[in-house]
Amino acid sequence: MNRSTETLVRARGLRREYGRGESLIRAVDDVDLDVATGETVAVMGPSGCGKSTLLHLIGGLDRLTGGELWLADRRVDRLSERALAELRCRQIGFVFQAFQLMDELTAQENVELPALLAGQSPRRARRRALELLERVGLEDRARHLPAELSGGQRQRVAIARSLANDPPLVLADEPTGNLDSTATLEVLRLFQALHETGLTLVVVTHDERIAATADRLISMRDGVFVDETRLTGGTGGSLADFVGLRGE
Amino acid sequence: MQQEVVLAMLAKEPSQGYQLRARLDQALGPLGEGINAGQIYVTLGRLEKAGFVAREGAATEEADRKAYVLTSAGQERVTEWLNEVSWPRPDLAEFHLKLVAAAQAGLGDPIAIVDAQRRELLRRLREVQRAAMDEPNGSDAGLLLEGIVLRLQADLRWLEACERTWTDRRRNR
Amino acid sequence: MGRVFLVFRLAARDVRHHRAQALLLVVAIVAATATLTMAFALSGVTDHPYQQTRAATKGPDVVAYMTSPSQATALIHAPGVLVSSGPFPIASASIAVGGRSAGAFVEGRGEAPAAVDQPEVIVGSWVRPGGVVIERTFAQALDASIGDSVTMSGRRFTVVGIAVTAAQAPYPNLCYFTTNTCANFQGAGSRDNGVVWTTEPDARALTSSANPLDDFALNLKLSHPADAQAFANRYSALTGGPGPRHRIETSGGSGPAPGPAGGPNQVGPIVSTWEGVASADALLVQDAQSVLGPGALLLALLAIASVAILVGRRLSEYTRRVGLLKAVGGTPALIATTFMIENVALALMAAGVGLVAGWLVAPLLTDPGAALIGAPGAPTLTAAKAIEVIGVALVVALAATLVPAIRAARTSTVRALADVARPPRRRGALIRVSRRMPVPVLFGLRLVARRPRRALLSTANMAVTVTGIVAVVAFHATTTNKLSGAATSGLISGGLSDPVVNRDLEMLGVITVMLVTLALLNAVFTTWATVLDARRSSAVMRALGARPGQVGLGLVVAQVISALPGTIVGVGLGLALFKAAVKSAGSPPPAFLLVVTVLGTLGVVAGLTTVPAQWGTRQRIADVLADEAA
Repeated sequence: MNRSTETLVRARGLRREYGRGESLIRAVDDVDLDVATGETVAVMGPSGCGKSTLLHLIGGLDRLTGGELWLADRRVDRLSERALAELRCRQIGFVFQAFQLMDELTAQENVELPALLAGQSPRRARRRALELLERVGLEDRARHLPAELSGGQRQRVAIARSLANDPPLVLADEPTGNLDSTATLEVLRLFQALHETGLTLVVVTHDERIAATADRLISMRDGVFVDETRLTGGTGGSLADFVGLRGE
Repeated sequence: MQQEVVLAMLAKEPSQGYQLRARLDQALGPLGEGINAGQIYVTLGRLEKAGFVAREGAATEEADRKAYVLTSAGQERVTEWLNEVSWPRPDLAEFHLKLVAAAQAGLGDPIAIVDAQRRELLRRLREVQRAAMDEPNGSDAGLLLEGIVLRLQADLRWLEACERTWTDRRRNR
Repeated sequence: MGRVFLVFRLAARDVRHHRAQALLLVVAIVAATATLTMAFALSGVTDHPYQQTRAATKGPDVVAYMTSPSQATALIHAPGVLVSSGPFPIASASIAVGGRSAGAFVEGRGEAPAAVDQPEVIVGSWVRPGGVVIERTFAQALDASIGDSVTMSGRRFTVVGIAVTAAQAPYPNLCYFTTNTCANFQGAGSRDNGVVWTTEPDARALTSSANPLDDFALNLKLSHPADAQAFANRYSALTGGPGPRHRIETSGGSGPAPGPAGGPNQVGPIVSTWEGVASADALLVQDAQSVLGPGALLLALLAIASVAILVGRRLSEYTRRVGLLKAVGGTPALIATTFMIENVALALMAAGVGLVAGWLVAPLLTDPGAALIGAPGAPTLTAAKAIEVIGVALVVALAATLVPAIRAARTSTVRALADVARPPRRRGALIRVSRRMPVPVLFGLRLVARRPRRALLSTANMAVTVTGIVAVVAFHATTTNKLSGAATSGLISGGLSDPVVNRDLEMLGVITVMLVTLALLNAVFTTWATVLDARRSSAVMRALGARPGQVGLGLVVAQVISALPGTIVGVGLGLALFKAAVKSAGSPPPAFLLVVTVLGTLGVVAGLTTVPAQWGTRQRIADVLADEAA
């Protein structure tokens, strides 16, 4: 994918339906979405609103029932499983709520896996993995198994893994869903830092704090977008006023 | 009692003092028991003096028989207030009444009001979060900022609940 | 009491919820017990019919063969002799019918029934001038039927009847007697003789100066049949080593051997006993039994392996339920019992079905040589044998379920509730090695490393299967060799078929079919189990960018790596088994056949894996991850 394209993700009329007739469920119901390169977009909504499904559709982990999807001006909704795999390998990094690390592999072995899949030499892959682990602050845990890591650490390993092949787009599904507040903070910092490197990030979350790191926040309910807020562009009034320090 | 609240309650229709009181009671439930009838009249008086409300009815009638009505200045002030999104102090009751008044008077969409407030809070949250992350671990400012973050988070959650409830109300109407 | 009830209810509910797996378990055990049943049934198969034949034909207790009828008198009047018939002249002749030829011993008989040994005519009628009655197995081998024209030593006869007798062993085990046993012929020309009956004048007419009449048979019935061997010991002139009868020149065979080989001209009679004949009868199925025994064992092992796989898969699902049981006060004993009861009940049911199935199928194999009358119906299946078969099924079920049951009972409640299905072990070395490999091999190796016990089970499975296949292949080769070895004896050149060889081939055929079926079943279980186990890993790999082809191939690689050592071990074991079973006559099969077996088995395993692998990669990653989290 070309990093210089302006709109990295373009979706029109996305639909994902289950069942039929009486029991038809529209998990994602005619959604349009544009994500610019370098943007962080957060999608919020109550559970069952279809936000995770939406993310799976964008990442090719699930098949559209209808609509069109472009990634960097390339139409991807009709691609074969094999082509999608290529895409996921090099262009898209995925972060799961349940981490989905391999239990029997150490942190560094987990992180280097996408690089190995992309055909890199084991040495380069290992070096890249260590770099990434350092970036997420876990270089001293490189040889630990997931079972020996805390929830926040595991998610950081997962984030590092998603960056292994330096993808332009990272999709994160409830990245702090299973984490306590300290761990959430760790992940928050990371996302902030990643955003500053120009990564395009689409995050699905119900945590306002994660959502607040985004440039744009989309609210979703019952499979449709109901609201969109631009969070960049400052707020009026000083923080002190806001907090009530200067009294009324 | 916030002046603007009383003003907004009048936006629906001119009312007498006791009618206003009844409406407030209804909107506040058990929390309304603390309201002093006298306070309302005091506020009304101030509003009259400021030119936001006027009294209708013959001059000879008793004070509490006369109906209060919004002046055009009052109307303007109400509209302005409805669209304000500052959050100077966490005052749930005021926001809650704002929504109720807007719905009753048909002056504004409560959901839109909620969304606007949410937006503002999210922006604030973003700001505060950044500031908090820039602070070294364990600094005093950092602690305060963390506190603000948590409160904002709590408020945001309540706003989400407001949105859900008002949406359902609208759907079930 | 309540506890017992609870156990049964839980077991019943569990079976209902996992119908497919219960069914598979049942199928595996049915296959094993059916074979065992057949083995048992066959083991006693000729006793019965021989007795029936003996009764129907007024079979003799002893038969004395003499060079001159004058020797008969002493025997007829010997103490203990009840009734006699004969002496009947026996001429040697060559018999040819429809292009097939062999040697025949022609017994000259009266048209009236004899007092002892009156062969029972199965088809047609008894001897008359110009007519010949052929012993049934011999007739089958010659493919002769009523009305056919046969030539015996140049003279024409018509087949008028086909009969059975208990006085001598059926073709091709016509044999001669040492003091105790009927010894089979060795060497050239030994098996190509059968028995026919004609009228006395016709038989005498077949002799000539070149082929004199010097063989007579006297049939005796004793007052105590059990004394037959003692009688034989007393009166038989031959005390050691078999003495062959006259050789007859058959077309293409070796030349006649003049007179008894390796021994002096007989002075006295040679006496054979009815027990000796009975054991000769048994020769017909002996080889088959030597195959059935190990065959049944192999099948039982395969059955255990299948059950183990099935049970192993279910255990991870079972662990959570176990936790709940414990949490509400169930003891480890209760849990283990519940688990085992299910499987034992299923095993018993399966054993019952297998018993019936084996019972029904056995007759197809136990046509105990056409020589014997006998209901080729339900072969002997006594209660004792049935219990043995059921016992085996029980042992199979217990063997496969005991260890997991105990382990299930021992898991701590908390762990069980948290449903930590045994976390995979880490094999650092394998993981390190796999890093340098292409993706499918990387994936395959790591899958094997994750679940070494599953891999071990695969290997064991494969070892048992290949052992069976190699043994079967070796038997086939031997049997075919026997056939072609028989060519030098004039058998093939005479155009006859060897019923023993045929029987062997039939038996092998059955065993092979059962073995292959069970092995296939097993392979299907294993491959599906492997793929299902690897579901989450596969999905994550795909999410990270592995192509579906790579993942599928990885699954195949994992399967082949697991199976390979077992295959090689299986070859060795198979050869060893074959040698042990056959003892003497076996020659090992050619090396290329073994290589083909190994490659073929691996190929089948790889092929079978692709089916579930394809199924797996068709699933949507999101669905799989959601499923596996549930």
